[in-house]
Amino acid sequence: MTETTERTGRDDTIALKVTDLKKHYADAERNVFDGISFEVPKGKVLVIVGPSGSGKSTLLRAIAGLEPIQGGTIALDGTVIETGRPGNEKSGRVKRSEELRTKFGMVFQSYDLFPNKDVLGNITMAPLLVQKRKKDEVEREALELLERVHLADRAHAKPHELSGGQRQRVAICRALILHPEILLLDEITAALDPEMVHEVLEVVVELADAGQTMLIVTHEMSFARAIADRVILLADGRIEERSADAEEFFTHPKTERAREFLHSFDFVRHRDAQAERELREFDAQ
Amino acid sequence: MQGANILLEPGVFPRLLQGLWVTIWIAAVSVALSVPVGLVCGWLMTLRNPVIRFVMRVYLDFIRIMPQLALLFIAYYGIARAWNWNLDATGACVLVFILWGGAELGDLTRGALQSIPEVQHETAYMLGLSNWQAFIHVILPQAVRRLLPGSVNLATRIVKTTSLAVLLGVVEVIKVGQQIIDANRFQYPTGTLWVYGVIFLMYFIVCWPLSLVAHALEKRWAND
Repeated sequence: MTETTERTGRDDTIALKVTDLKKHYADAERNVFDGISFEVPKGKVLVIVGPSGSGKSTLLRAIAGLEPIQGGTIALDGTVIETGRPGNEKSGRVKRSEELRTKFGMVFQSYDLFPNKDVLGNITMAPLLVQKRKKDEVEREALELLERVHLADRAHAKPHELSGGQRQRVAICRALILHPEILLLDEITAALDPEMVHEVLEVVVELADAGQTMLIVTHEMSFARAIADRVILLADGRIEERSADAEEFFTHPKTERAREFLHSFDFVRHRDAQAERELREFDAQ
Repeated sequence: MQGANILLEPGVFPRLLQGLWVTIWIAAVSVALSVPVGLVCGWLMTLRNPVIRFVMRVYLDFIRIMPQLALLFIAYYGIARAWNWNLDATGACVLVFILWGGAELGDLTRGALQSIPEVQHETAYMLGLSNWQAFIHVILPQAVRRLLPGSVNLATRIVKTTSLAVLLGVVEVIKVGQQIIDANRFQYPTGTLWVYGVIFLMYFIVCWPLSLVAHALEKRWAND
């Protein structure tokens, strides 16, 4: 909790500030998470890692307004945009203004491109409908974004004509064209074939270098290590370890929980003598 | 083969085509008006409000359980007479077919709307689209593609079921056929097969293009 400094005034360097966030489902005994606090400074990347079921996707979704919170506050750019209250467990997506929603860019695991629109249509829909921007200007920007993710030649392709990796890059462009304060990435490579993961993560790294504020949930540890400015380890709905030095977290984690978690990504095959013998017999057959 | 000559009698074909026109008119108006009714019903069926849900459930079940003929009789002989409502036989047919088509299309629409993945709604929300914009630009276009095959099937069923209009005294293609057969009973005793054969072909010519269009669109949208 050392990082969460209580400030009364507005802090121009903090993009997102989450304070004492609480979340539970209507008929569940256990809280999904209980009293989570952290900040994402402007232009920085915060990566949330943790075992499956630790609540990290739910945390991201709650910040995005897709799930109601039962306690705590979410502040964007110095303004509290949501205060949790108990009893709203079943109320679904949070009522937020259209303008506020566009300040969060979100990319999901998969199936989030609109299949009835081509690539350009997907990217330009919200700027045209929500922000009421001019069509030629929006299309120009969309093409520039596509150029950045090396997909300029696929502007008129339908989503089903694209590979999984290409789709995720288009989804990133679609989020970026709204110029969000913060980009939320929810395991965007989890549904991809391994050979496509790299092309997507490369784009995200370029965004980080360009100063895009991001909050990322991922299972890709090498990616997390490469991109994170700060890291949070979430387990059982609690922050088990946090670090403002990502490299330090991945090489010298402070807590036993973090060591255990990071160790689970190392593939070391331990064979005892009995297993060795059985394997040799099997090979001999 | 001699019976086939009944088709060459002057006035037979024009009269059959006039009858077919009545059939097509009833079917086309019914289908056209069923579409908005069905879309609204389908949308209502997806709502969580228990009262609306119950009302829609009763409506759908009532229409499904009742034979179309019974509905036609209720509308024409029952309701129209009881309330002294000046509803002619064609109007009664159109009314019943809209209620029927609207209910069935509503159920198809409900299924199509509910089959759209939740993440599509969530993405629209994140992009700042209003509920209405999300429905019109994201959810409905996808739902329409999914409900198309079923609704074309429904349209052909409506075309075929218009033949029940005979029983309310509407002079549509079947009735015209019967009149032609009756008028030529002595001259062409075996003409029945030929007249009904032509009517069969007429129904086929109306319904077949519908399924061709449905098939083509299905193919085009297969991957979307």
